Amino acid sequence: MILFDHVTKSYPRDKHPALDNVSFHIEANEFVFLVGKSGAGKSTLIKMITKEEIPDDGKIIIGGIDLDYVKKRHIPHYRRRIGVVFQDFKLLPTRTVYENVAFALEIAGMSNREIERTVPKVLDLVELTDVAYKFPDNISGGQRQRTSIARAVARQPKILIADEPTGNLDVETGRGILDLLQKINDYGTTVLVTTHDANAVNHLKKRVITLRDGKMVSDQKDHGIYRLDGDNDGISLPQPGHLHPETYLYKDSRVNNAGKENPPRKRKLIQ
Amino acid sequence: MSKAKTTSRLKSMIKSTNRHFFRQLGRIFKYGAIGFGRNIWLSITATIVASLTLILLLATVVAGAVLNSTADAMRQKIDISVFFEPGTSKSDLASMASTLKQNDNVKSVEYSTSEEEFEKLKQEYVTKDDQNMLNTIDIVGEEVFIKKQPAAMRIKVYDTDNLDGIKTIVNTDEEFQENISKDKDKAPTYDTNSSAIATISSWANIATKGGGALSILFIIISTLVIFNTIRMAIYSRSEEIYMEKLVGADNSFIRGPFLVEAMISGIAAGIIAGTIGLISYNALAPNLKAYEISVDAVNEFLADPKNIVLLFIVLIGTGIIITLISARLAIKKYLKKF
Repeated sequence: MILFDHVTKSYPRDKHPALDNVSFHIEANEFVFLVGKSGAGKSTLIKMITKEEIPDDGKIIIGGIDLDYVKKRHIPHYRRRIGVVFQDFKLLPTRTVYENVAFALEIAGMSNREIERTVPKVLDLVELTDVAYKFPDNISGGQRQRTSIARAVARQPKILIADEPTGNLDVETGRGILDLLQKINDYGTTVLVTTHDANAVNHLKKRVITLRDGKMVSDQKDHGIYRLDGDNDGISLPQPGHLHPETYLYKDSRVNNAGKENPPRKRKLIQ
Repeated sequence: MSKAKTTSRLKSMIKSTNRHFFRQLGRIFKYGAIGFGRNIWLSITATIVASLTLILLLATVVAGAVLNSTADAMRQKIDISVFFEPGTSKSDLASMASTLKQNDNVKSVEYSTSEEEFEKLKQEYVTKDDQNMLNTIDIVGEEVFIKKQPAAMRIKVYDTDNLDGIKTIVNTDEEFQENISKDKDKAPTYDTNSSAIATISSWANIATKGGGALSILFIIISTLVIFNTIRMAIYSRSEEIYMEKLVGADNSFIRGPFLVEAMISGIAAGIIAGTIGLISYNALAPNLKAYEISVDAVNEFLADPKNIVLLFIVLIGTGIIITLISARLAIKKYLKKF
């Protein structure tokens, strides 16, 4: 579903590459945390997936699409296939919660009738029906993030990328957001969440890919307990990090990170 | 393999979303109108700046027309007076007039004999109710005055800067030399009035040439001002553009509502500028007349209701063009950036 194959990216002014030979493979229906302190390369990696940045070297394949062949004119169409959630929500401030969610459907050319049918269901899924006609400035941080998630999943993308979704929220609200992401994953959406919040990682106990200084230092499929690293704002591992060179060849989507069989896929996220 | 698969998937995606031109156009207009209302302070600022721009343009055009009209009126008043010995016959005057008319710069020549000149003078005294002079005429007798009254010729020209040809005729033509007044006080007036004529001419030239240049300058300055205002308005919403791009909106779908907002500003600015312009002109025009500034050409234009409609159409059109170009240029940067 998401394949990074020896991806390297450098910025002209930086001494070290932002991403250095990063390789991993995320299967369909997986839920993966991408962790690392600020500057580890998480945002660069997300920008590669959204095709805001292009790698200097290596290959990226997302949902069967080789990004090398996605031309500029194709980018909007490609981006509609993935849902993206941001730490700072990135909502349209002059549009209501309903309109923000509807926007994702409108750009895809969906009819008004389909939109009127779909948006209430999405808002119900993220429990925002009561604030549907409020503007982002008039709702709480957690509700804004739920709006952002609703907008990201309204088109029922196969992949949902969440860049520090709990970064601006208190622990309790953050857990609610993670549970919502888990719910979305249960319906068959592949979810990739970047974070430097150990609580978030420990709450869901999923596969964890760790970046440090642009290098992938660990790909933990067997989950341990993570703790906050005292030296930095990142996460330290429960045991010395170890890289699985064959990680991106990991194919078995029927088995989850704990080695147990995945639960059967539920029906569509939005009926 | 990978390329073929990617291309085929992208093609099917484009096919499924590119079929709804009118639906998307409707949404662009809807969100443009909604955006105008919800960003009301930015919209008001852009509209005010666009209105000021258009008022400035309108004022420049009207000022140019008024100056030209005034200059023309002043030119009409300019004539060269040549005086002849009292008693010069009408036929001689006619002959000299026809000689003058051969010069291309001569627009018209009027002449009057000593008797006619005296009649004009007498009429002036009557008008002014100058009883002393009228009594003197009665006592001395009209004949005495007529004998001393020089005949006169008044020449109107096209180009007040180029009087050499006329001067040559007056100074060298035999018939002129024979009849021209020997009285030094009655020498042809172009010598004494040349500086006045030159001043009026230069004002008229400034009105014609400078008015055009000034209009272009104002258009450039005002376009830059409105461009920067709209750029600031769009800059403050650049996050929106970034977000819309990340969600997968086409450039046209992102740009469209901004252009519609700019267009609404342009329409509102055209109506505001036209209304303020007309009210201000009607308030100022009578005062200008008192200073002998000619507003006839503008009044004549505004007398026809069709022209007022035309004025509003031109102002609204100009408003739309300026705001649309500005918005398009301003948003281009952000569409490229993200």
